[in-house]
Amino acid sequence: MSKYVSTKNIAVALAVAFALIFPHLGFKAYYLHIAVLSLLNILLALGLNLIAGYAGQLSLAQAGFFGIGAYVSALLMLNFKLSFWLAAPIAALCSALAAISIGVPTLRLKGPYFVISTMGFGEIVRQIFLNWQTVTRGPNGLTGIPAPDPISLGFVRLTFESRVENYYLILVVLLLVLVLYYNLVHSRVGRALRAIRNDYIATQVMGIHVAFYRILAFAGGAALSGLTGALYAGYIRFVSPDTFTTGESINILIMMVIGGMGTIIGPIIGAVFITYLLETMRVFAEYRLVIYGLLMFLVILYMPKGIAGMLEALWHRLHSWKKEA
Amino acid sequence: MVQEFVQQVVNGLVLGSTYTLIALGLTMIYGILGIVNWAHSELYMLGAFVGVFFVVHMQLPFLVGLILAMIVMAGFGMAMDLLVFRPLRSAPEINMIIGTLGISIFLVQAAVIVFSPNPVRFPTEFSEAYLSFMGISITLQRLMVFCVTLVLIGFLNYFIKHTMIGKAMRACEQNKDAARLMGIDINQVSLVTCAIGAALAAAAGTLVGPIFLVSPQMGLATISKVFAVVILGGMGNVPGAIWAAFILGLAESLTAGFFSSYYKDVVTFCILITVLIIKPAGLFGRSQIEKV
Repeated sequence: MSKYVSTKNIAVALAVAFALIFPHLGFKAYYLHIAVLSLLNILLALGLNLIAGYAGQLSLAQAGFFGIGAYVSALLMLNFKLSFWLAAPIAALCSALAAISIGVPTLRLKGPYFVISTMGFGEIVRQIFLNWQTVTRGPNGLTGIPAPDPISLGFVRLTFESRVENYYLILVVLLLVLVLYYNLVHSRVGRALRAIRNDYIATQVMGIHVAFYRILAFAGGAALSGLTGALYAGYIRFVSPDTFTTGESINILIMMVIGGMGTIIGPIIGAVFITYLLETMRVFAEYRLVIYGLLMFLVILYMPKGIAGMLEALWHRLHSWKKEA
Repeated sequence: MVQEFVQQVVNGLVLGSTYTLIALGLTMIYGILGIVNWAHSELYMLGAFVGVFFVVHMQLPFLVGLILAMIVMAGFGMAMDLLVFRPLRSAPEINMIIGTLGISIFLVQAAVIVFSPNPVRFPTEFSEAYLSFMGISITLQRLMVFCVTLVLIGFLNYFIKHTMIGKAMRACEQNKDAARLMGIDINQVSLVTCAIGAALAAAAGTLVGPIFLVSPQMGLATISKVFAVVILGGMGNVPGAIWAAFILGLAESLTAGFFSSYYKDVVTFCILITVLIIKPAGLFGRSQIEKV
């Protein structure tokens, strides 16, 4: 058993090391851009995974929370000259509050009420970005968003102007989030969420407050998406309503489902895989969605744990062969 | 002012009829099969394209084209039951939603590839004919949407209340296990339910296609409204869905007419959330305690 665990740890260490040296491997700037987008998408897919994968309730408002984070942080930096390091947590908080306002009436109910409300909510958020011209500047979006302010560590001054610097900033955030995420999923809260997903009546009978834990997961995932929005605004320096559509929520969903919902590694694999395909196969945009739609149906039907589940099954099979030999 | 009001009421009735026809299938599939069919509004979209084919390309009279489109889409609905719903029937609810959402994306994009993403015009012999009354003029097409919807509701009511298979459908809705013990073939009931649901959605598409335009995205634009209707009426509740569809259609068109068309979606959403807070079982539903 200890060998099994250590192999897993080595794999994680190798993956982190690869991510750390990636910008210095001599890839074109374009691929570094894809890598940054992948990191952002991993954060978004992890946010959705918390409510959909662990709590078992599908949200189609994730692009909305992403957008709220991006717009709130951008407006705070532009209009109130607030520092990025203060604007980003406020943006995450705003997304979480929005999630709570929609989760309280809908997450105590059983049935498809939640999905439908989140879809409506995501669409309304976009309408507000489009039509509240005086604040959001409508379809033109917000331009001239400053980069995150430099941090001075005494001996060295960190700036976040260039692509590589943003890559490291987002990677560090992602690694911190992953540590938190791992601990959360393996804590009392994570167990409660999985119990609710598997049998919510039994969980209720055990004295676990179903609605509370669901709202907690939803708000946590929304806060993560809001934080990602702030990072996105700091990297791209421009936000417009076109980015935060229901289509984007569905992209995030596809990443999570194909990677493997209800696992930690799944959203990471799915986000990297799909982001790469999305960016490099723009020519086949029409055919791409036909395939993704069908793939989503087949994956959910035949391998509901996605690529991560497949890898795990493969790993167990290899392991049992080794034992037999 | 009065003219404007009547005009918006007429628009509201047209919208309400559309929502009714789509929502009836959706709520029946939920009530009888237990499936949340996210791809249901794609049946409405495909129905409109089939209608365009029969009426515009084959030059058939509108009503004949309407009936043929309903028959073709009934077949499509049965295929969907066999290929999509039956494999998903025992899956957790979230997997059902993701699975049918995948099918919805697939159908929309397949329609984009086959029919091109540009909206298509759907002229019929009724779109240029007007009925004028006290300074208010309505195209015959709009009048027809409302009348055909009433006729179809009448047919559906007769079918569910007075035929053997309708009785079987109601039995399945009340208790699937007990229905099976009475010798009802669940698979046959679900095939019939999907055929009816798809035919009604196709009727909606063919009826309103000539008023708006026909495009692959037309289903995506209505699905959240139709779900709102189904929730307001109480999930699985057929008469509730009809009332809720007209309430929502009128609320939406009056908001668009007297305030701003930006806010019409916001109004739908606010009604939905308010109802979920006050009466989660829907305006016309009884709340039930789940028995294990």
